[in-house]
Amino acid sequence: MRGALIFDSSSLINLASNGLLDVLADLKKIFDGEFYITDSVEYEVVEHPINIKKFELNALRLKGLIGKCLKLAEERKEVEELAKQILNIANRTFKARFKGEEEYIHIIDAGEASCLALSMILSKKGIKNVIVIDERTTRMLGENPENLRKLFEKKFHTSVSSLERNYNSFKGFSFIRSSELMYVAYKKGLVKFGNNALDAVLYATKFHGASISRSEIEAMKRL
Amino acid sequence: MQEKENILDILKRVRKAVEEEDSIKLRELSDRTIHSSSIFQDGDNIAVAVIVYSLSKIIERKNYQSYKEWSNFLEKYIKNIEVAIAALEKDNLEKFRQALNDIRKAINDLSGNFKTHVQDVFKKARVNKASRIYEHGISMEATAKLLGISMWELAEYTGNTGIGDVDLGITMPEKQRIKIAMEMF
Repeated sequence: MRGALIFDSSSLINLASNGLLDVLADLKKIFDGEFYITDSVEYEVVEHPINIKKFELNALRLKGLIGKCLKLAEERKEVEELAKQILNIANRTFKARFKGEEEYIHIIDAGEASCLALSMILSKKGIKNVIVIDERTTRMLGENPENLRKLFEKKFHTSVSSLERNYNSFKGFSFIRSSELMYVAYKKGLVKFGNNALDAVLYATKFHGASISRSEIEAMKRL
Repeated sequence: MQEKENILDILKRVRKAVEEEDSIKLRELSDRTIHSSSIFQDGDNIAVAVIVYSLSKIIERKNYQSYKEWSNFLEKYIKNIEVAIAALEKDNLEKFRQALNDIRKAINDLSGNFKTHVQDVFKKARVNKASRIYEHGISMEATAKLLGISMWELAEYTGNTGIGDVDLGITMPEKQRIKIAMEMF
């Protein structure tokens, strides 16, 4: 296996909501490696929404991809245990000062931590991997935790301190969003929606939850 | 419970805003627990935010007043807010939570379209408050769990906000990220 893409719930929800799961399946056909999901992600994208009428159809579509396009990570126990450690570190990294007291900020949850855990496990095995994640916090924690601290300060209107030694635990991950994945699909000729297809598909990912700015989309279109 | 004095002040102002049918004021009041909701992730603060935001929507939609259950429902809503205020003043958290719960129960006692509309208002209020907490930097999954909504609902809503355009969220030049993606294929 040459590589692996690890999908967080946020990116799969986006692709499903946009009707782009066929493009995802086509991408898998040309990919030399696996598209992974963890048990926690499977719960968020299949087991939970399958009981909500509004999302049942997309949950069924995603369920249909498991075993074909998406592979459930086999290292279940290892992922679960490592994810717990990651959660423990991540949720004890930032402290907000509020009325004279400091409080740890709970920032991420099990599914997001499981993607980080699986990435670490695959990297240890020498498998090159990238996490496909549309939500913002986990990506910021990995790529620029200091920006995340500044965001907290700006939004909470209070000082936020961080245990900077924890930042090292989140170094070394690679992240892309469903937007970049669709860019690749477009470049590979898999997005066949006629004129303006790239613009349409990139903005569609933005409007279905990818944390991407207009300036980033416009930069991507110019590449 | 965190921020008791703030919650008390909010609930007291709610009473006045309802009398004046001031939905904008109610919406502003519902945002006043968002900072503390994001930091402490305290259920009471979140419940108050959802209840007050829902009330702003219910007041705003004048057509709801034509339903025959309207007056009785609003009366129960306000009465329970008053019970919550009195309970909180006496530090009786159990009674405070019961009063908030009774507001939710009052919705179940409604019937027909009015019940469907009010249930929808409450569901949308949870998604709205979740979006505000996500905007504050808490992850999508953590926020969805906190508000008891699905990540699907939250993703749908946040896509139409400006959260993705915040400069601090841009953590890598786009060219570099595209290179990462292209190299995998």
